Parts: sequence; C-alpha cells; structure tokens
Amino acid sequence: MSTLHLVRQSAFATNDFTQCLSVLDHQDTVVLMDDGCYNLKHSLMDSLLKRVDGTININIISSHAQARAIETMAKVSHIDMADVVALTFNHNKVITWQ
Amino acid sequence: MTTIEQQTLASLPKGFGLAIINSKAPFSSNDGKDALDVALMFGSFEQKVSLFFQGDGVYQLIANQDGRLVSIKDYLKTFSAFEFYDIEDIYVCQQSLVNRQLNETFHINDVQVLTSIEFSKALNRHQHVLRF
Repeated sequence: MSTLHLVRQSAFATNDFTQCLSVLDHQDTVVLMDDGCYNLKHSLMDSLLKRVDGTININIISSHAQARAIETMAKVSHIDMADVVALTFNHNKVITWQ
Repeated sequence: MTTIEQQTLASLPKGFGLAIINSKAPFSSNDGKDALDVALMFGSFEQKVSLFFQGDGVYQLIANQDGRLVSIKDYLKTFSAFEFYDIEDIYVCQQSLVNRQLNETFHINDVQVLTSIEFSKALNRHQHVLRF
C-alpha cells in the first residue's frame, strides 16, 4: 500500500511535516507544494534525505518553488500539477498535510 | 497624532508609534497584503510605523520571488514604496533568517537585521502593536 503525501505547510510554522515524516513508509511519495516548498531548507529535510534509499520519492512543484525563490536540490525532482494528477493514480491513497 | 500626545512623545522617548509584526509567508494567506495595506494607510496619515518581520514573515523580504507564477498579484513589489510613505524602520529577526538558511539579500533596501534581543527591544519601544 503506497501513499502520496501532499505537504502544503511550512514546517517552520506548523508541525504537519513532522507528523507526515512520522507516518512515512517505504514506496511512499512526498510532494512539496505551496508553503511546503519552504521545507526544502528545514533540518527535517536533511533527515528525510538520509532516509531516502531509493524507495521514497521526493518531489517539489516547480512553479511553487520558483515563485518563492527557493533553490533547487539534486535529490528532489521538479514536477508540475499534471504530474501530481498522475501520481494520485499511481498510489493507493493520498494524504494532504495542511 | 494630537499635540498633547506629541508632547508626551518628546518627554517620553519610550513607547511611541505603531509596530506591525509580519509572521506569515507571503503567498498562502492574505496576511502579508493586509499588513502592507495597514502600513501604507498609517503612512499616508503621517503616523509613525515600524515593520517587524519574524518567523515565516521573513520570506516576504527575500529577493527574486515572483507571485505571478502562483497566480498571485505580487504585492511584495509595493514594499519599495515604503520610503515615499516615510516608513523607514524595517526590522528583521536574524534568528528567523538563520533557522531558514536564508542570507541577508532582500528585495528592498535599508532593512535592519537584528538579533533576538535587539529585535525585542525595538518592538518594546512602540506603543501599539498589530500582528499579522
């Protein structure tokens, strides 16, 4: 059972991202969107990237990051909204963290 | 401000003017725009306004942002009008920048980066505070 996690809040303002990471499982996918893009620079992200062993996929909505002047990161794939739609079909369920 | 208040102001250097604290990221809520509107309104009536950026509010000052990419009218560009409204005291919490791995490049000039202690001192100099 794979889950798609849509992270929409800044981890600097809420603990949504912490809760997301606590339930994150193998084969899950994380999408950072809206203020969730700010999490790229959060210390929680470092711990997540260490956990990524090729099974957890981390993505960011390109336009959302660009609007916020957030620098890119090699381990995080840039996607658009059409890709999110595709991802919802590739996973058993979706959790929106907002 | 009335003459009486101005006299009090002269005799008491502490506690004057309005402080506006910005604590929200720019694009996910209206708070930033609302704070800007209040600041410019007070500015047009020649009231003393100081702006404080704390927490996720510091993202409002970061350079190279573009709200149009997320279909938001870019109110951040209006920040450059502050000098015409005599809004000269713009303070940013250094700790908030450090936590977010942000450097001190802002899209407006004359932003003062203050340590937590300085930030709190600057805020406590004001008589009224609005937080967005």
